Amino acid sequence: MQDDLELIKRLQNQDSNALSAIYDRYSGALYGVILRMCKNEEWAQDLLQETFLKIWQKSNQYDSEKGKFYTWSYRIAKNLTLNALRNPSKLIQNEDLSVYSDKELDEPEQDILELNGSLKKLEPHHQRALELVYFNGLTHREAHKEMDVPLGTFKSYIKQALKKLRETYQKELFLFWIIIEKMI
Amino acid sequence: MDRNSIKDTGILEQYLLGELSEDQRIDVENILKEDQELREYFYKIEDDFEKLAMENAISPPTYIKKSLLSSINEKKQITTDKNVIPINKKSQNAIYLTIAASLALLFIVSSGWLYNQWQNSQNNLQIVTEETLDLRNRIVVLEENLKETNTWYTAINNPNTIQLVLKGNQISPSSKAITYVNHKDKTVILNSKGLAKLETNKTYQMWADVDGEMIDMGVIPADKEMIAMKYIENAESINITIEPAGGNDHPTVEQLISNVLLQI
Repeated sequence: MQDDLELIKRLQNQDSNALSAIYDRYSGALYGVILRMCKNEEWAQDLLQETFLKIWQKSNQYDSEKGKFYTWSYRIAKNLTLNALRNPSKLIQNEDLSVYSDKELDEPEQDILELNGSLKKLEPHHQRALELVYFNGLTHREAHKEMDVPLGTFKSYIKQALKKLRETYQKELFLFWIIIEKMI
Repeated sequence: MDRNSIKDTGILEQYLLGELSEDQRIDVENILKEDQELREYFYKIEDDFEKLAMENAISPPTYIKKSLLSSINEKKQITTDKNVIPINKKSQNAIYLTIAASLALLFIVSSGWLYNQWQNSQNNLQIVTEETLDLRNRIVVLEENLKETNTWYTAINNPNTIQLVLKGNQISPSSKAITYVNHKDKTVILNSKGLAKLETNKTYQMWADVDGEMIDMGVIPADKEMIAMKYIENAESINITIEPAGGNDHPTVEQLISNVLLQI
């Protein structure tokens, strides 16, 4: 997936149409991350909006030489969410607290949070490793303890998981290519 | 750290996930900047994670986008409003400028008025100075006149002074001059006011008769009323003749207009 540098340039020039296009492209992916991290739809929605506001405000700090635009956006979303989880009072300070007294109300249904796609084809420990660091926002150090494996082992899980994931993508791409060929 | 050990440590994954400290992050960025192959490797990891996220995307409610866009438009509006502030500042500056201009104008007007006043004072002072000078001159003239009059008065009022009237004969019947002779002080004063006016090329001249010889006592100036004439010893009579302007060495007897005998 190539970044649309022209679109990003427009965003950096504070073009709100560019922000709209970027939102359409990345909001689902980022919302998936945020919602799985905080497991509260109300908070996740606030955090998603906050994430895009920050993307808008800090767009000039993005440097395409240093990495992909999505990676940069992901870090913003993750940091905001982790900060909010560490200090939840900020999230609900302007809300009616009674709404949150019954936590069930905002808790998303489990099947929404379930991981999909190529990830499901991975072995469970690989799946879990990626889920912990990528969707739960744990650091490598926290995650290896969570999985009760040494840090080195955990790192190799991540590496292998990504490798397998890539192979799956390539297979899918190959299949997709065959289908297209046949259709033509 | 070589390329493979960087790959093995999993530091790139941690970098991607934003887990590194500031120093580590900068180190990784520098390494990536210099190593093309490592950069491509990192790009693949990024791509993997991005695909992972896309596959696990959850559509957020549509109101978030609307709320986001309206919120940034509000902020833009505020920014635009902020841009308006300098205009307000400008208008504020214009107010200050107006005040300053008014003060300057007031200053110019009052300066002009003061300058005018000063010029008037200068003129008045000059007039007063001129008048003072004029008065002083007049005083000098008056003093001189007084001094002269006093001199004449003293001379005339002297007990030793004899007053003699010289009446015009048939040549100048209207003429009448008065002469004051003081033999003690040896002075002769003439009041020529009563003499008839002469043409400009003529003048009156006074003579003393001593043993039949006429001796010059002086030309009588036309512009003076009282004049001192020469005193001649042993004069028997005083005579006035009409002579050419500037006077004559010998009297023109035909033009004798008046004479008076002296009683010694």
